[in-house]
Amino acid sequence: MGREVSESCIDSLLTEMVSTYCNRFYANKPELAARRIEAIGYQVGHQLSERYTMDRPRFSDHLEAIKFICKDFWSELFKKQIDNLKTNHRGTFVLQDNRFRWLTRMSIDQSPENGASEDTSIMADNKAVQSMHLYFPCGIIRGALSNLGIPCAVSADISNLPACSFVVRIKA
Amino acid sequence: MQFFGGSEISPSPPVPTATGNNAHMMYVFNRNGVCLLYREWNRPLHTLNPQQDHKLMFGLLFSLKSLTAKMDPTSADKGNLGVPQLPGQGCSFHSFRTNTYKLSFMETPSGIKIILVTHPRTGDLREPLKYIYNLYVEYVAKNPLYTPGTSIRCELFNTALDQYVRSIA
Amino acid sequence: MAPAAPRSGDAIFASVERVNAELFTLTYGAIVRQLLTDLEEVEEVNKQLDQMGYNIGIRLIDEFLAKSNVSRCVDFKETAEVIAKVGFKMFLGVTASVTNWDADGTCCSIVLEDNPLVDFVELPDTCQGLYYCNILSGVIRGALEMVSMKTEVTWIRDVLRGDDAYELQVKLLKQVPEEYPYKDDE
Repeated sequence: MGREVSESCIDSLLTEMVSTYCNRFYANKPELAARRIEAIGYQVGHQLSERYTMDRPRFSDHLEAIKFICKDFWSELFKKQIDNLKTNHRGTFVLQDNRFRWLTRMSIDQSPENGASEDTSIMADNKAVQSMHLYFPCGIIRGALSNLGIPCAVSADISNLPACSFVVRIKA
Repeated sequence: MQFFGGSEISPSPPVPTATGNNAHMMYVFNRNGVCLLYREWNRPLHTLNPQQDHKLMFGLLFSLKSLTAKMDPTSADKGNLGVPQLPGQGCSFHSFRTNTYKLSFMETPSGIKIILVTHPRTGDLREPLKYIYNLYVEYVAKNPLYTPGTSIRCELFNTALDQYVRSIA
Repeated sequence: MAPAAPRSGDAIFASVERVNAELFTLTYGAIVRQLLTDLEEVEEVNKQLDQMGYNIGIRLIDEFLAKSNVSRCVDFKETAEVIAKVGFKMFLGVTASVTNWDADGTCCSIVLEDNPLVDFVELPDTCQGLYYCNILSGVIRGALEMVSMKTEVTWIRDVLRGDDAYELQVKLLKQVPEEYPYKDDE
């Protein structure tokens, strides 16, 4: 068993990293903030996958590499595996985590108690901030796969929280 | 020694002193006197607008703390009336009871104040208030979408709170 | 009588949800690297790391208080001890010690021999002047400010700069009592 730190360390670091880039550095340029956050995730994913595959033979195909991400890699990070993997066999993979750890504490009040217009804007804000938090794990997956020699694009879908689906599109 | 921790909210909630629908309302203030949360379950009478109501509650606590410290016969270093204290300094009250309601109060060293107003026959709520503080930590302080110092709009917190309060009062 | 605070954070650390420290360490490293790229000036990176730490500290204080069962932080000496012994253990899984108290008890050092933030880290020459762990000083400052203590936190020793340990000096500037926030009386 390697060294561990409290989950709050990583949670609060990520919360603050997202808020630094979104609210302080690029308050009016969300696409730039997103790119930076994704880049940080990419570095982390790249390094982690390097460490976790050191003693392994090379993966024979894309599916093998994706399975590695779903099982070993995900377990190292979240102490659980990806719950469901789907593919169209043409280079697109959907990795679903039914209870994605980094989303479990995210909650906003959906009940429109006060001024309705203000509420809609707050909710839209919240949605935007919520999606900002997903660029980091997307970057991790892209970095990890890129380290395994698989260039790809990764996006996330959170239409049914706390489940989260990561869509990996491998570049031909 | 009792520790709070773990993935689930622990320790397991204290044994209910009575069950039912006896909680009237709850306030959470921060150290700057901002009302972070007001939650109401059973309050037939409203005489003030929400801002005045929060201000009155905060003022009541502030004065009462100062008075209880002033009257403390056990301590030599008492502040003057109205002189601000550090949270946790001197003595502090944890509840008072009138013939129609009971107010239970907890203040953390970080200045978070949790006030629960219940039926006058409710028992000691000090442990339940600590538990509510743990709920606040798990669902509010750790919610990445929550900005410290702003009013609490967390569905998960409200749900957990409602459920817990129903079980204790 | 207030319940006594726990003397060590071991039991709390054992009970909290924990994660792989590699993920934390590499994430922190990637953030520092990105900040160096984006901000260019090392001084500015130090400042931003401190600010990030401060914001983290004001959030973490409540978890610390709730889990450690500390019910009062009035005495600076006691508070510094409990932060070092319980706080560092509870979050980072390492123990810090408090030394070098000055005569009037308002200034001390927190010393870390083991620091998970710097596993695998080696600073290139281009990073001269960088306080790599500056986020820690911010966390301490932010957390203490929430318990009414305005402090100044500075690095005295840093292993990445060739010293034998990490040493942070914490100086109490003043204790800020609670103010009645409403001015108008109606």
